[in-house]
Amino acid sequence: MLTVVAGPCGAGKTTWILQELAQMPTPAVYATPGVGPVPIDATRVAARFPQVEIFQRQPETELLQRLAAGVPVYFELGFQLETDIAFLEGRPHRRIALVAEENRDAGWQLWADEVIRGNQSTLNLQAAQVWRAPLSGQVFDPPSLDTFWQELIQGAYGKVHRAKGIFELAEGQAFHLDFVNSLPGSAYTELNLPRWVQGRPNRFSGIEVVGQELDEGAIAATLKDCYLSDSLLTAHQATLKDSVPLEVV
Amino acid sequence: MNIAVLSCIHGNLEALEAVLRKIDQQPVDQIYCLGDLVGYGPYPNEVVARIRELDIPTCQGCWDEDIVEGLNACECSYPSLLAETRGRQAHEWTNREVTPETRDYLAELPLTLQQSNLCFVHGSPHSQHEYLLPDTSAFIAMERVLATGADTLFCGHTHIPYVRNLENSQLTLNIVHPAPHPPTHSPTPLPSLKRIINAGSVGEPRHGRPNATYIVYNTDTQQAELREVEYDYTQTCAAILEKGLPAIFAWRLSKGLEYAEKADDPTHVCER
Repeated sequence: MLTVVAGPCGAGKTTWILQELAQMPTPAVYATPGVGPVPIDATRVAARFPQVEIFQRQPETELLQRLAAGVPVYFELGFQLETDIAFLEGRPHRRIALVAEENRDAGWQLWADEVIRGNQSTLNLQAAQVWRAPLSGQVFDPPSLDTFWQELIQGAYGKVHRAKGIFELAEGQAFHLDFVNSLPGSAYTELNLPRWVQGRPNRFSGIEVVGQELDEGAIAATLKDCYLSDSLLTAHQATLKDSVPLEVV
Repeated sequence: MNIAVLSCIHGNLEALEAVLRKIDQQPVDQIYCLGDLVGYGPYPNEVVARIRELDIPTCQGCWDEDIVEGLNACECSYPSLLAETRGRQAHEWTNREVTPETRDYLAELPLTLQQSNLCFVHGSPHSQHEYLLPDTSAFIAMERVLATGADTLFCGHTHIPYVRNLENSQLTLNIVHPAPHPPTHSPTPLPSLKRIINAGSVGEPRHGRPNATYIVYNTDTQQAELREVEYDYTQTCAAILEKGLPAIFAWRLSKGLEYAEKADDPTHVCER
């Protein structure tokens, strides 16, 4: 069964898929096109459900093989309503739209087989700006990251509608940070991954910001000021080894 | 007698002028200043000149000391790498900007001012860098007041104004004798009321609004009144940008956040 999930920016598409996967005892596939080198949602899904197969750059034929074998496939689209995705043409699939009451226009209703209540989105698509950056290998000083994140979501670097990211912290954990401007506060979730306490993490981390009039240069420069230097990271990891037993990567 | 107590102006001339205008409307007999005249804000020399012009008794703040003593005289006080980077940027800018006259004035500021049973410091009597927060342990708070010999200690540095009464407190001294005598606990009775009054910040507030704060204290009634003064902070924001300070300082000022530091470590004592 192929399930295609769409909805406006920050509607809760990945969260809905995670809820579906949580109820599913069988293996499944998660695919999301178009995120390039910043697969935040895919990394979040993989950390939560290691048994779920993540498709990012694999050939279509492999995805078709999984479908032929009866493996459930969740295909998450971006936040613009796309009706001409070649892969879906002629293939039976279920269309789910995550849309708030306020965002229910005819387009979503016509496209979807089922409309599920999602988070409200006030994003003006014409003026929307998307900024993504891979951060792999960078480790953050937690209070610096907190200051940066609060500034970001409160508008210091432009109007932010949606921000999400995976960040490696000094203690070795990877955290998923998630902000939607129609919801109160941010969600901070530690990913179910081994703590990385030797050298720079060799796994994905990155950030995506959706908004208007974003000062991308200032965002990037501020992030850089939050990174641990090699010497600080080495010193910190040395103290970690001495203090607590860890699952070392 | 009414006194006004100002602190943490941080080169914000518009905020200082607004406070002085307010004081003109509701006059006081004496103004005291608890330091941090410079740092982060765009008008360090002008603020110092104004304080000198009015001959306001002023004690030295941590930023005043840093400009005299050198870069990051207390780098351990930064709570994050980002704050440290921003503090360094502010320090380097201010260090280039201040005139020799301003630097000489800051160098000669006393660490403590005293008037009868009132004492004035920037952070604590022990250090300009020590934070006396509203929830600093009662023992530490009482010890700091007692160290001055005064009944009321005026401080700043935290940028959050408060009045804390230390009522009916006792400071217990543990005197350890050589064996075989057991330790003797010798409670020292103290006057029933000591106070710490924090004046907040004129130029770099941290209470969620850009407004300046200061304290008016009546020495006869011992009443402390916190005053919050609105001013055109957008002028300061514009000057921050014009003078080449980091743009994030303007945004943080407009939100009533400190430019960089968060005074959230009550245990911090500089061990420089």
